[in-house]
Amino acid sequence: MTKIKTIEEAVSLISDGERLAMGGLLLQRIPSAFARETARQGKKNLKVMKTAANYDFDLLCLAECVDEVAAGFVSFEAEFGMAPNFRRSVEEGRVRFNENSCYTVISSLRAAAFGVPFMPIAALGESYLVNKFRTVDNPYGDGDVLTVPAVYPDWAVLHVQKSDEEGNAIIYGPVFEDVIMSRAARKIILTTEEIVSKSEIEEEIDLAVIPGFKVEAVAEVSKGAMPGSCYPNYDYSTDHIREYLSIKDWDTLNLYLKEFRP
Amino acid sequence: MDSHDEFSRAEMMIVTMARLLEDAENVFMGVASNLPFFSIWLAKELYNKDLTWLNIPGRVNPKPALPPRSTVDFEVFRNASASITLSQIFDMSARGELDVAFLSGVQVDKYGNFNLSHISDGNRIKVQFTGGAGSALLCANTKRVIFWRTRHDRRSFVEKCSVYTATGNIYSVVSPISEFKKKDGILALESIFPYSSYDEVAKRTGFPVEPAPIALPPTEDELTLLRDFDPEGIREIEF
Repeated sequence: MTKIKTIEEAVSLISDGERLAMGGLLLQRIPSAFARETARQGKKNLKVMKTAANYDFDLLCLAECVDEVAAGFVSFEAEFGMAPNFRRSVEEGRVRFNENSCYTVISSLRAAAFGVPFMPIAALGESYLVNKFRTVDNPYGDGDVLTVPAVYPDWAVLHVQKSDEEGNAIIYGPVFEDVIMSRAARKIILTTEEIVSKSEIEEEIDLAVIPGFKVEAVAEVSKGAMPGSCYPNYDYSTDHIREYLSIKDWDTLNLYLKEFRP
Repeated sequence: MDSHDEFSRAEMMIVTMARLLEDAENVFMGVASNLPFFSIWLAKELYNKDLTWLNIPGRVNPKPALPPRSTVDFEVFRNASASITLSQIFDMSARGELDVAFLSGVQVDKYGNFNLSHISDGNRIKVQFTGGAGSALLCANTKRVIFWRTRHDRRSFVEKCSVYTATGNIYSVVSPISEFKKKDGILALESIFPYSSYDEVAKRTGFPVEPAPIALPPTEDELTLLRDFDPEGIREIEF
């Protein structure tokens, strides 16, 4: 059964208030076109999660689409500095930053993927993050064990290099947490550099780490990770990131969202 | 380049951290780790060719032809010896199998605990930082943590952090002007960099420091290798 949809149709599947695990990491394989279309459609109160994010989360903060960001790290890094709209939104109280360690994001997704209510994890020392989580008695030995709760994203939103029409997809380069996100989420939306034939996916079956059975939509968006990179197709765009970071108000944001379609 | 005409502060930090890896079994560099990248690369070239290098894309012994501009630059994952995942590197730390990790923060205190989370005003966040990435887990469970910070002032080197993002196995703290080592639970000045002085370090540190020797400057070998590998000066990006 074909899952092919336009990016507009794919984003329209999302309801206000839902929780999205977004794939890629920092500047690599960001679901950027998805984030821009989410901003255009004016979604509200979304909850987003990833280990380490920048453009997608920052844009969704700027466009006031999210009310909670769960992550270990949100920044554009040295060359570009911090994520200004994320930072301002948190400091002004519009967005709740549910700071995690990258490992607690992963462990919450693992619990959901494994079908258990929580995941025991190694200690986090005296980090303030410990206060967000509960410890349990070790039922098989001495002492306490720290746990994190299962977090079930409504959607895993992943940008991949190749998918067939059913959403069987190949990721080249590091997969980061895309696979565990796809297993933890209830449903999956894919954006893909290109839609290819089923036989092309089958030829590289060992790289087809996302099976199509939970995929609700696959939207073909060439350069869909821009201004981030998508290995090996293209590197990130310094000019585009700088243009994005210069946006200061709604008018400029709307112009930007018109210019960079999808 | 620094006003010192022979080598830069970035270069002094890089070689100081590289020399700490001489006997390391494996080392992990996380997000936004420009200087540690060069330290690990240099250590593998000069001091410890068997060092196992792990990074965010999950590559084992990446073979970059050029220095990367970001955590997920193609150079740090295109060529490598093997491939695991970031989550499995965290698992290694959780199991006590990770030897060295490089971590950073906005504030570090005299106990070697650090803050990369926020400055709050009661219940309200006044200043939001980036978040500590994997550091809460890594600092508590990795055998030795090298902390680096490209600024050294009383707002960064404090008596006690307002909030702890991560605590635990801090081994060395490297700044642009000095190195500290944790001794008996407290950071003690280990060396002063050649272009600085005890007075400068003491003045810029928000907790008491005792005098220490002057560190050895970078060697010709170290500088030649670094500069040939990085003609564009990406190692200076944070200065």
